[in-house]
Amino acid sequence: MSEYASINEQLDWKKAEVIAAGVDSGAVSSKAVILLDGQPYAFSQIRTRMPKESAFSAINGALAKTDLELKNIHYLVATGRGRTQVPFARETISEIACGAAGAVRIWGPSVRTVLDAGGESCKVIHCTEKGRATAFLWNDKCAAGIGRYMETFADLVQKEVHEIGNIALQSEQFPKLSDFCAVYAQSEALDSIRSEVPLEQVIAAYHYAMAKRISTLVARSGLKKDFVIIGGLAKNPGIIDWLESILNVSRLATKPEWDPTLTVALGAALFADTFYRRT
Amino acid sequence: MNKGKFLAGLDAGHVNTKAVIMREQEILGYCTVPTGFDVVAAAQTALNDASDNAGISRGELGGIVATGIFNDMIKVPPLNATGTVPEYMADAKGALFLNKNSRTVIDVGGNIHKAVCYDQKGDLVDVVQNDKCADGLGIFYTTMAKALGLSEQEMTELALKSTKNLSIAIQCALSAESDAIDLMCQGTDIADVADAVSKFIAERVADMCTYMSLTKEIVVAGGLAKSQAIVKHLQSLIRQDVSVLTHPEYVGAIGAVIGYGGVK
Amino acid sequence: MKKSSEAIIEEFRHITENTHEYAKSLQGKGRLLAGYMCTHVPEEILYAAGIIPVRILSAHESQAMTRSYIHETYCTFSHDCAYQGLQHNYDYLDLIVHSSSCIHMGEAFNVWVRFAGFQHKSFLITYPHIIHTKHASEIMVESYGEFKQFIEEFAKKSITDDDIERAIKVYNQTRRLLKRLWEFLRRGNPPVAGREVAAVTLAAQVMDKQECNQMLEQLIQRLEAEPGKEPSGVRLMVTGGACDDMRIFDLIENLNYSTNLIFTDSCTAARYFWFEVPEDRPDKLEAIAEGYISRIPCPAKDNVPGTGEKKRFRFIRQFIEDYKPDGVVFVYQRFCSPQSMDIVALKPILDMLGIPWTELELDTTVPISLFGTQLEALVEIIKRVAP
Repeated sequence: MSEYASINEQLDWKKAEVIAAGVDSGAVSSKAVILLDGQPYAFSQIRTRMPKESAFSAINGALAKTDLELKNIHYLVATGRGRTQVPFARETISEIACGAAGAVRIWGPSVRTVLDAGGESCKVIHCTEKGRATAFLWNDKCAAGIGRYMETFADLVQKEVHEIGNIALQSEQFPKLSDFCAVYAQSEALDSIRSEVPLEQVIAAYHYAMAKRISTLVARSGLKKDFVIIGGLAKNPGIIDWLESILNVSRLATKPEWDPTLTVALGAALFADTFYRRT
Repeated sequence: MNKGKFLAGLDAGHVNTKAVIMREQEILGYCTVPTGFDVVAAAQTALNDASDNAGISRGELGGIVATGIFNDMIKVPPLNATGTVPEYMADAKGALFLNKNSRTVIDVGGNIHKAVCYDQKGDLVDVVQNDKCADGLGIFYTTMAKALGLSEQEMTELALKSTKNLSIAIQCALSAESDAIDLMCQGTDIADVADAVSKFIAERVADMCTYMSLTKEIVVAGGLAKSQAIVKHLQSLIRQDVSVLTHPEYVGAIGAVIGYGGVK
Repeated sequence: MKKSSEAIIEEFRHITENTHEYAKSLQGKGRLLAGYMCTHVPEEILYAAGIIPVRILSAHESQAMTRSYIHETYCTFSHDCAYQGLQHNYDYLDLIVHSSSCIHMGEAFNVWVRFAGFQHKSFLITYPHIIHTKHASEIMVESYGEFKQFIEEFAKKSITDDDIERAIKVYNQTRRLLKRLWEFLRRGNPPVAGREVAAVTLAAQVMDKQECNQMLEQLIQRLEAEPGKEPSGVRLMVTGGACDDMRIFDLIENLNYSTNLIFTDSCTAARYFWFEVPEDRPDKLEAIAEGYISRIPCPAKDNVPGTGEKKRFRFIRQFIEDYKPDGVVFVYQRFCSPQSMDIVALKPILDMLGIPWTELELDTTVPISLFGTQLEALVEIIKRVAP
């Protein structure tokens, strides 16, 4: 997972009427998005250690690129699992509502189903054309941690996590691994290595198994187009391609100007913008 | 120096490959290398580094005795292991060598954990291994340390400071991780989270131990034995005293040499 | 001095948090105690013999002992109940009675009998799985007859029809009082909170019903005189399996939004008492069988032969009509197949009624940030929150 911060240097915060921000305190990474009059201005993403300290790091990371200070932000909404640990948030909103809002903002009003495949959990969110969440399904415990386990798996096979997705697509044939549980799949993958299965095939097999696991969540929840995928796993082509193939659906492509992992933080910032305008 | 006197023990496991250089009853050098994907490469590196630590060259080795789940890859060229010793036997012989009074070793490794009971000669009496749901405890521990931003040493030090005795689900590493993250998101002190993680690992190992009668004295081996917090919980859960072997993760490699009969 | 409603509720809650202490105090008064795990046990027969039935509850702490006794993938509730036995936490019980329910709880019961010292102080009542037929009633009457005989030998006294009738009336009174208590929650702003009612209901399952009835009567009297104090928030109904962890109900009413728990359909709540045993019938065992068959069924027992209909769903629809929830929270043990299968069938019904829902998968502990997030997301959906 890469940590970064960046800003849109064409905007000037001193001229903005509404400076709104969202912080997404996720299990694996913490993200911050700052909007000026609804336009994206600054963002950052850092590794989560303890939620409170990481929330500060995330917002400070975004601010550091500007000469904006935390106190200049008119309204800040926190979301994500660790949202109650963000002391400088004015309000908290669930990542379900934020995911829906962010997704429609990024991909437009045709979005109806959002798969948030994050570090610690996967959820399927159904939304209206205005980005209002109408229903959701959270993964069961047996499907927890798929995102983080991808990193663990990459470490075990001594590859970078951003490489293995592409490697996974290189094999057409590969052994079958348990597609119910990541612990079993990982163990079986390690055993496959012992049986001298080529590395690329083991990586492909693991990705297929995890994609299958995630696909059952989507199938149970129901899928209405247009379909988008957000969260860290949205950047893993191995998972995405297999998911699309298993579900027989194409997702809308990632937008170049928006890292899909920032979608929920963006949603929080949009809420902040709205809440400020209402006061 | 007599060439035949140096023997290397090699224990290639799911997560780490361990090499030890011995001469008679003396341990001269050792090294651990991540197994990664290329077991043979890992084994070569481990052997080279262990030899360096022992102050000898690879050429001086009289032979390599292999154990561990990947030992079949080590039997063939280029490593050409002199012989192999099954893991349970290696554990028993190694543990007995390191502690003459021991009769049970609980080996908590990267992906697998097991308990082996043996007699005064190190011959097997009984064996139990974890069920599949409890795979990957070592991997989980490393992952959690990373998630908490701690080194493994820091994890155990913090865990020992906790007084809360929090519970997290113990069905498997996934449930434990899910609950540990939840604790963090509730603002729980990192020491208490580290302790809950350590206790989870100990509980799964203790659970395995309920399948078999453990004979005293009980020793603990494997990479996770280096965590005092885990050992403390384990001792309390199985309600018996345990001691940690020196060189806990090398027990298999040492036992391979001993078990092969390389040491008279 | 008259006790306030808060004081009475606190007494009930104290009992749920100190069940062993309470049970032993009953023994101290010379009473015999029989533990039970599932609610299919005809408590009236025990009560008629002067034995107090006490529900066995779980401790919600991680433990490392039961996997060599019960399979890994059996629900945590069954593991936890088995553990309580293996830990000798319930050694003081004179008897343990089980009435075949599901395989997970059946194994927990087996653990108690075979490994926890209850071999000679246990009884397993045959309870059919298909209860919605005439034959079921016949089997149950026969089964209850065997049970009655066993209890008479065990307690060394004969159980008369009058004894049973008295027990039926005491138990029916408990049922009516509990129903009355839950009915306060139908109001827009009730004088009592859902989490408090849940705690009182759980206490009732481990108490001597006569004592329980006295306390319930007092409590209801106070509440009838009190104005509504709980703020009117989003109305949430819980439906699912056994849930004896009050922290879940506390959480439901302690979110970032104003919420009210207004009904709980589970065997540790409504399914325990939402029925009556017909009174003043000549055949007491038949009356008990009829009463227990008429209950909201446990999903493990709910199958109408030939149609595959689920009778529980009728009850749920009625509760929805009467209690008017804004949202439904499914609460079930991880690995519980019967509950999960019911949930699969219930979701389309709720979708059709336009009622949003979420699922909370129960395990050893309550993951507050996870469950809190799911519940708040549900409330936001109900309140149509959007930027």
